[in-house]
Amino acid sequence: MRARSTCFGPTSCTGRAAAPNVPLAKPTRLVEKRLARTVRAGKILGDPIPPTSQRWTTGLRRQPDATLGPSRGAIPMLARQSNIVGLALRVPVVVRVVIAKRLPGLAAVTLVLVGLAAASWAQENGQPNALPADPVLAKGQAIYARSCAECHGGQGEGVAGSYADPLIGDASIGELTRLIADDMPLDEPETCVGEDAAAVAAYIHHAFYSEAARIRNRPPRIALARLTGTQLRQSLADLYGHFAGSMWRTEERGLRGTYFDGARWRNENKKIERVDPTLDFDFQRNGPGEGINAEDFFIQWRGALKVDVTGPYELIVRSTCAFVFNFGTFERVLINNRIQSGDQTEFREAVYLTAGRVYPLQIELYQRKRSTGQPPARISLAWVPPGGTEQTIPRHHLLPGSAPAVYSLQVHLPADDRSYGFERGLAVDRQWDDSTTAAALEFADVAAGELWARYRRDRGRDGGRSGRARGDSGARGDTGGRGDMAGGDENRDRLRSFLTEVVETAFRGPLDEASRKFYVNDQVDATEDDSEAIKRCLLAALKSPRFLYPTLDADRSPSQRVANRLALTLFDSLPADEWLITAVRENKLTSEGEIRSAAERMVGDYRGQAKTREFLYEWLNLRHLGEVTKNRQRFPEFDEPLIADLKASLDAFLDEVVWSESSDYRQLFLADWNYTTPRMSEYYGQGWQPREGETGGLTRTATGGDGQFGLLSHPYLMSGLAYQDSTSPIHRGVFLIRYLLGRTIRPPADAFAPLSPDLHPDLTTRERVELQTSPESCQVCHTKINGLGFTLENFDAVGRFRSQEGEKPIDPTGSYTDRNGQVVGFQGPRDLANYLAGSDDAYQAFVNRAFQHFVKQPVAAYGPDRLAQLTARFKESQFQIRNLLVEIAVIAARQPLENASQEP
Amino acid sequence: MTSLRSRREFLVQSGLSLAAANFALGLPSLGWADDQPARKQRLVFVFSPNGVIPQHFWPETLGADFELKRILEPLAAFKQQTLTLHGVCNRIRGDGDGHMRGIGCLLTGIELFPGDVQGGSDTPAGWSQGISVDQYIKSQLQADPRTQTRFGSLEFGALVPDRADTWTRLSYAGPNQPVAPIDDPYQMLNKLYGQTRNREALASVLDGLSEDFRKLENMVSQEDRRLLADHLAMVREVEQELQAELSLRKSQGDVGHAVPELPANVREENDNMPQICKMQLDLLVNSFVADFARVASFQITNSVGQPRMKWLGIDEGHHTLSHEPDSNEDAYEKLIKINTWYCEQVAYLAERLAATPEPGGGGSLLDNTTIVWTNELGKGNSHTRDNIPFVLVGGGLGFQMGRAMDFKRVPHNRLLMSFCEAMGHPVKSFGNPDFCGDGPLTGLV
Repeated sequence: MRARSTCFGPTSCTGRAAAPNVPLAKPTRLVEKRLARTVRAGKILGDPIPPTSQRWTTGLRRQPDATLGPSRGAIPMLARQSNIVGLALRVPVVVRVVIAKRLPGLAAVTLVLVGLAAASWAQENGQPNALPADPVLAKGQAIYARSCAECHGGQGEGVAGSYADPLIGDASIGELTRLIADDMPLDEPETCVGEDAAAVAAYIHHAFYSEAARIRNRPPRIALARLTGTQLRQSLADLYGHFAGSMWRTEERGLRGTYFDGARWRNENKKIERVDPTLDFDFQRNGPGEGINAEDFFIQWRGALKVDVTGPYELIVRSTCAFVFNFGTFERVLINNRIQSGDQTEFREAVYLTAGRVYPLQIELYQRKRSTGQPPARISLAWVPPGGTEQTIPRHHLLPGSAPAVYSLQVHLPADDRSYGFERGLAVDRQWDDSTTAAALEFADVAAGELWARYRRDRGRDGGRSGRARGDSGARGDTGGRGDMAGGDENRDRLRSFLTEVVETAFRGPLDEASRKFYVNDQVDATEDDSEAIKRCLLAALKSPRFLYPTLDADRSPSQRVANRLALTLFDSLPADEWLITAVRENKLTSEGEIRSAAERMVGDYRGQAKTREFLYEWLNLRHLGEVTKNRQRFPEFDEPLIADLKASLDAFLDEVVWSESSDYRQLFLADWNYTTPRMSEYYGQGWQPREGETGGLTRTATGGDGQFGLLSHPYLMSGLAYQDSTSPIHRGVFLIRYLLGRTIRPPADAFAPLSPDLHPDLTTRERVELQTSPESCQVCHTKINGLGFTLENFDAVGRFRSQEGEKPIDPTGSYTDRNGQVVGFQGPRDLANYLAGSDDAYQAFVNRAFQHFVKQPVAAYGPDRLAQLTARFKESQFQIRNLLVEIAVIAARQPLENASQEP
Repeated sequence: MTSLRSRREFLVQSGLSLAAANFALGLPSLGWADDQPARKQRLVFVFSPNGVIPQHFWPETLGADFELKRILEPLAAFKQQTLTLHGVCNRIRGDGDGHMRGIGCLLTGIELFPGDVQGGSDTPAGWSQGISVDQYIKSQLQADPRTQTRFGSLEFGALVPDRADTWTRLSYAGPNQPVAPIDDPYQMLNKLYGQTRNREALASVLDGLSEDFRKLENMVSQEDRRLLADHLAMVREVEQELQAELSLRKSQGDVGHAVPELPANVREENDNMPQICKMQLDLLVNSFVADFARVASFQITNSVGQPRMKWLGIDEGHHTLSHEPDSNEDAYEKLIKINTWYCEQVAYLAERLAATPEPGGGGSLLDNTTIVWTNELGKGNSHTRDNIPFVLVGGGLGFQMGRAMDFKRVPHNRLLMSFCEAMGHPVKSFGNPDFCGDGPLTGLV
């Protein structure tokens, strides 16, 4: 496996920071070469590649901005892109040749790279793109300024009264040359011919005329985007939630168990009522408690499952007794084992769950008295979370009591474009379109089967919003989506008002007459069958641009537009909660204060928390760590249960820092405590013992742990950023520089396999890396990478603290050169932790990531100084993460209001 | 259980070499695969619960001169296509009460697993230990490209309670694998035609959507308009595809593939049972015309089912009534009426099948379909599983119809073997082999 990995680390090579534990596919080398070339070319021309550029991996495929609009097929996209690349490549060849003539050999290459570094620096600092030093272009520029700008404008933007249209198009330089030579300037075309005309043509083509130029010049803007997969999923969950009620926060954990003597619910036989931390019981033949016949009892566990990460889950019940497992609502049966038969005791069900949602859950167990073959009673509830391994569902995911019904879309949605470093819905294709149809049909089913029945029951009489029932109580029985005993006309009217409310929620605002006619009335009139009408209506509504493009709302009230953006930013969803819809109706979301207090309320919601968790995973690039596995011979106890604990510990640590009172970013690096489990204490030893008085499960460690630097020393991260049997300072360095410090580093010109420790038995890892990256061509980047990565050498391949590697002591010294060229030295991980907690580079990286993740637009689109302002505000607030998220949401939400106030 | 799946298997088991077989059996040298396309054979099990009133059910005269008693009277028009099989007994013992074994062993011919469901008597039990005959035949038909259909089998129901237990399941795909019948006609329609109907619904809204796209275009900048334009172009593309597909379907004009219409908003409740039965039977006939399946079952309620046939003036539940002694004249009369109503459902199905021409062949669907009407008990108040009602209508199995037969206490496993054999997939045993020693029933063909 190692042999095939290109490393240097796939991290530094592909720019993707692929999991070091995962081998790369073979073609990498070729692709990387091409990428490197493209990127070099792009850099010299100053393509606006974002600083935290993940675009590199897909640079051949994607455009830097959406100014050309999305392309519907791969072929036109490639064709268009190759034009740009083609143009870009021509120029740097010239530049390279010029430099190479003056400086021989390696130095020339180095200079190119240094040049690139400078360009990259300029890029990071947002300097405008200068014209490349080309005499032809300079000549053209001069002539244009003298003879053309008067009518066409300084940047070809056009001049009202003379030539108003902008100079843009797709003619070639040759065609432009002929046109200019023949006709331009209008009054005296003979003054600009031959080389002059060619120079002007080359200049305007490069400066603003061509598609490539327009892309280059385009300032970042807020692009119209369709819902991403995540947003579609969340929006449908809230569209359902609008009718079912929204979840409240609770600190209680566990499941409420009610135990009865006799195999049915009889109040007089109730023996135990308690909250069970998890569901994992072996009652054997003794029964669950005093006063309960061991052969004849009934237990109901009720509560909810809190899901923090979207993805495929498997829910597993193991039981020797009959049971029924309801999930999502107390009426929806997920596993029906009402009768126990034969020796079947394991029941598994796969479900796709949406993050930030709390799924009602009920398990009813029946131990029935039998005349023959009474088995012992045993039951457990386990899960396999996405990418994880099976475990009993931990206590912190279980909430006692009832929760409103929840719906999670099961349809598979295609992955979204992530070439900007964050998901954006900037293109539509057939696969996506088909998936929206499938999603609409699935939702229509659940709307007919559950929501319509609920609506008829709850609001049948008054038909108004006031009759809204919260929660799920007393909902048994009526679940069919069919008409009822009410007269036909009355039922039809009720159906129309139900569908109107569904569509108005989906469209994030009231329906006008034409919309009401098409989306609701026409569909109801088209069929006598309620379910069919619901299906038609929802197919239309959920495939409508009014639903799929959340910011297509210029015709909505200011408060509505604010609410739409708040929900989109903080929940990836639409406004569905009663309080928010009321605020919109009363137009109480216009002042900055009102908006901020709404955002504050939303950020702490489970939906906001889930999106925050996703952001932190993005910031730490955790999704790309992949599967953490280690050499079983060397690390036999580093097994799947331990890895699952590490993950849970990291999650708990992040939650604690973000959602504590101070919500202090700096704690992410300065905390001298963490979360641990018995397995972790056993494996990691000192510093990982639970706090005094705490036992079992997931608990805090004592503070003052040696070698504890918050995230930085967390074994999940440290083992993820390492090879199977040794550390990888390069992965760690690239991680630090790219993700935590937000700097750009280019992929290397070639891919390399790491030097094998076996061939260099007397070198430490640090020494091997130094040896391999010693060529001058490597050093341009590796002085930055290695200097950071080496500081974490105290943490071995599984994240255990060490002070020696073999016979030699660990040398954890290193350094970093910041954006302003200041060199900082580190004696070891503590210095690095302090630096990350106090560095402007790190603050800006964090703030930028957060903005991108929550808003899904580049921050510069909200003003050139926005990032600096936001970062300054972050510092002023004592680095309050929660506050930062609120500020981001306020900026995104107020944007249409600000624009409106600027308009005359 | 074993079966003779193929010619090869048959030859291997009969010890003939391939070459010898051609001489010995006079088969065409290319083998059975090149046989003339066989006629489509279909088999439908109709289940009604709680036993019958034997006195008014079984013909007293055997043979072709049999008479139709009160309960069977609705079949008068199909007397020549009807065969009554008296003396077939469900002899399976083991766990479970009479009703549970009655339904759970009826088509499986094998014991129930031990389990925790305690019935009114006997020991508790779970699901069946084996596959049911409808599912077995289906799997055989599906394994052969010549008899393969889209679904293989369809399990219809009417007012089956929404709980999965031994009393509510007739069909089993294997040990511990009960098959839930679909008792909601709309759900069945969706299963049969869902995709087509979804595409029709989609086609009908796309035009309106396009209009809305154009209205919204004006709300965005020139640059953003491209995305909407791309999206609209795609909507148009899908619309054209759908139009082409729908008009093709229309031009083919195959009635069999027309999507049936159901009356709107019929809810699943007791009083709607007659209408639901009719809807389900119509869908069943329709699915045969479209050749979606060759095997089907129609389960009316469940073992111990409690329909209240108010439309017959009967307010009590069927199961409750079925426990009354024969001396309770009122109950006795009501039970005759109830069973007659079940028979009317069978007759309606026969009537629909008889009135529908066999697509691509001669005769009617009924000529190639056998309805097997059966029950979990012989008689309600005794819970006997002797003389299980087996009334067959139609020519699917190729049995000699228009007769009343009495087998004098044979295990019903032998009849299950006969079904397999008649459907072209003979077996050495079905269910518990202890009841299969004498082979399939004789004298049926």
